[in-house]
Amino acid sequence: MSSGDEELAKDLGPLAALTIGVGTMIGAGIFVLPGEAAAEAGPAVALSFIAGGVISMFTAMSASELGTAMPKAGGSYYYVNHALGPLFGSIAGMGNWMGLAFASAFYTIGFGDYLATFVPLPTVEVASLVISQSQIGALLAGTAFVVVNYVGAKETGRLQNVIVITLVAILTVFSVLGFMQADLSTLKPFFPEETGGAAAILPGTALVFVSFLGFAKITTVAEEIKNPGRNLPLAIIGSVAIVTTMYAIIMVVLMGVINWDILGQSETPVLDVAEIGFGTIGAGAIGVGLLTFAGLLATASSANASILASSRINFAMGRDKLISPWLNDIHDRFATPYRSIAVTGGFILAFILIGDIKVLAKAGSVLHLIVYGLLNIALIVMRRADTPEYDPDFTVPLYPIVPILGAVTSFGLIAFMKPIEIGLAVGFVVFGFVWYVLYARTQTTKQGVLSEYVLSRRDRIPDPAVSAAETVKPDGGEYTVMVPLANPEHETDLITLASAIAKARGGTVEAVHIATVPDQTSLEYGAEHLDEIDAESQELLDQARADAETFGVDVETHTILSHESFEEVFDAARDHEADMVVMGWGEDSHGSPGRAESTLDDVTQDPPCDFLVLKDRGFTPGHILLPTAGGPDSELGAEIAKLLGAEYDSDVTVLHVGDSQSEAEAFIESWAEEHDLDDAELIATTGDVETAIEDAARGCSMVILGATERGLLERLVSGSLVMDVVDDIACSVLLAEKARDRSLWERLFG
Amino acid sequence: MDRLLDRVLLPVASQADAEATAAAIDGYDIGETVAVHVVEKAGGAPDKASVQQREEAAIEVFRVLREALDRPIETEIRYGTDVAEAIFEAAHEIGASSIVVTPRGGSRWIRLLTGDVALSLVTETDLPVVVLPDVDREGDTEEVVDDE
Repeated sequence: MSSGDEELAKDLGPLAALTIGVGTMIGAGIFVLPGEAAAEAGPAVALSFIAGGVISMFTAMSASELGTAMPKAGGSYYYVNHALGPLFGSIAGMGNWMGLAFASAFYTIGFGDYLATFVPLPTVEVASLVISQSQIGALLAGTAFVVVNYVGAKETGRLQNVIVITLVAILTVFSVLGFMQADLSTLKPFFPEETGGAAAILPGTALVFVSFLGFAKITTVAEEIKNPGRNLPLAIIGSVAIVTTMYAIIMVVLMGVINWDILGQSETPVLDVAEIGFGTIGAGAIGVGLLTFAGLLATASSANASILASSRINFAMGRDKLISPWLNDIHDRFATPYRSIAVTGGFILAFILIGDIKVLAKAGSVLHLIVYGLLNIALIVMRRADTPEYDPDFTVPLYPIVPILGAVTSFGLIAFMKPIEIGLAVGFVVFGFVWYVLYARTQTTKQGVLSEYVLSRRDRIPDPAVSAAETVKPDGGEYTVMVPLANPEHETDLITLASAIAKARGGTVEAVHIATVPDQTSLEYGAEHLDEIDAESQELLDQARADAETFGVDVETHTILSHESFEEVFDAARDHEADMVVMGWGEDSHGSPGRAESTLDDVTQDPPCDFLVLKDRGFTPGHILLPTAGGPDSELGAEIAKLLGAEYDSDVTVLHVGDSQSEAEAFIESWAEEHDLDDAELIATTGDVETAIEDAARGCSMVILGATERGLLERLVSGSLVMDVVDDIACSVLLAEKARDRSLWERLFG
Repeated sequence: MDRLLDRVLLPVASQADAEATAAAIDGYDIGETVAVHVVEKAGGAPDKASVQQREEAAIEVFRVLREALDRPIETEIRYGTDVAEAIFEAAHEIGASSIVVTPRGGSRWIRLLTGDVALSLVTETDLPVVVLPDVDREGDTEEVVDDE
């Protein structure tokens, strides 16, 4: 994908990003909850909203930093999974998903409330279950929202902006007119004794926190936002600031016009106040109509955004194999993640039947609060681990105070919930944990930054932490070694090497014959020579199968027809989700060196998995030389050396060329120890690197080189690999290049 | 070879579409093939599905097409708010001699909901568009437009 196309894929500007946040949040607090909120804390509930805004702001800042560092679909879930690993990822993902479903049920019941004010809806009794008018409305609306998202009815960007701007405008007029009717004495006592006075503020926040569940949804579409480094923090932090201000003002207006006690008993307090406010200009009925319209718009856009966000979280979880990829199929005609939407829709409809909006609101909040708390911890972990890929454009001010406060206040607010909601929160954490242990752990291969951090510093970190990290480490996913074959001469050596690796890692071998079709003869060649290619392919792959089976390794075979075989290797590695590619390198192996292909630049900079490239002079791992200068590629080299050493009982010699003898010795000793190569012979020396390698290689039968300095693959393809050392050594050379994130790659080479 | 089919752009929307398209062009003497998958953008609102999810789906679509055709093809993912427009743009940029479409029918409702890209391709085009019958839909010829 060219950079121009990537720009096209990002079409959410700052206003659109802001309106996602504002549009999702406005709705709950103002249109659905003010009655319940007033009953909870009286006029002081305005402070409850401000407290909610402050708690959200801490997390909003953390989410902004994580979002600019990792603008990936999935948002909060993705950051937690990436930083804290799949155990917490499972908890956050499930929590976020179900939290959104609870919140959507809450929004749709709010929609039903407003619908019921002007559409005659029946109340239905099924056995002992009474389904209220609001619930009937909610079930109808919920079904409609799910269907709209299922078929993916086309929404234009402007529509969303128009909806949110209309909402804000109606609420502003409402506030102004209401404010003129407000009487400060109605607000007294500000802390009524009946609700517990000032102590009711935080329980009030626990109830109304559902009004703030929109800002994090912006991060779930981070990949679609233009210039995310600037617009993402602007939208997240801006939307929290805007809605907090609006909530506080409107609460004061509502309770300044109608006494909180009376307001608390109303089904739709906003409409009551609108009637009085607009009544002064002789437009009471219009006011009620406008606010009803606004209430429907607001709750509908909140519900809709939540359904969309949950499908993004499903996708991100599926990508990390924490849930079945079945859920994330794209519909043949509608191009929507229809299964994910249908399943989420099922949950929403089921939750609507629970009916109690307070329970639904708090259930949604509690699950989000767990996610927000974990998100703040994820930020601290990312900062502590300080991986080179982590390079946020926006950084939280006053680190570490902000994320610590974010985590403490998010988790702390849960304490102000009722025991049933706290029980629900605990239940979900346990569910996420059990889900991970029983399902996800066997599937996912992704390890969190935290666990890598702990396991890579096992000497300095207390044993219990290390063993805990080891216990929960993912063990899933079949390890696949792909072997692209071109030249029959080297087939046996490549398959042998690949099988040894697959065997050691309990994986399988995929032998792929990439039949190159000359450019000029394109199609006709392919068609006319298909039989010929087939026969050649069959022979090669049969041999590969036989060779791999001598190792007792499972093997699969494929043939791919292509112009550009090197690019095809990358495509195939991606398609087959290979963990490692073992390929040959020579005049006639894969693409002639020196061929300039514009598309190749793109692919070779981004190896989709670990690569081992064998300059084959016979597969003889009797005595392996491993020159190292540190770095991830040497690490891969060390793994392979260890693995071959164990399989073939080979001797391993580690070589490091340093600036001074003492420095070289110190480096090599600590490096060998770190990579469990204590038994290897260690050579530390100074001087010319290539000469040193050549000298040391004389007594060896195989050399494993990490692609330390620049992209190995890139140089192989462009023909710029000037490593005399490879030609001057008589034995086989194995070049190792580790897969890594594109961001790091770009930073180092791009 | 007919020059009309020298360098053909094949729009493919889904795996089923790729299979139908491959079956439809089977037997025609086609030169170079460029398969294009358009990721429909909402143009300012969140998309129906994650862009990355759509890109991954596109790679699967291309894989199905490659396997069904069993010959090398070029592939391209495009982005646009109007799918037909994005296809025309791609066709001009890659220097296509024609666009070959295999409309897969469906009820009026489905076509209404999905925007009937095939119809837009035929009616709004400034390039030759070859419409091939969907060979899998036997006996359902009423919606198939034959090309001369």
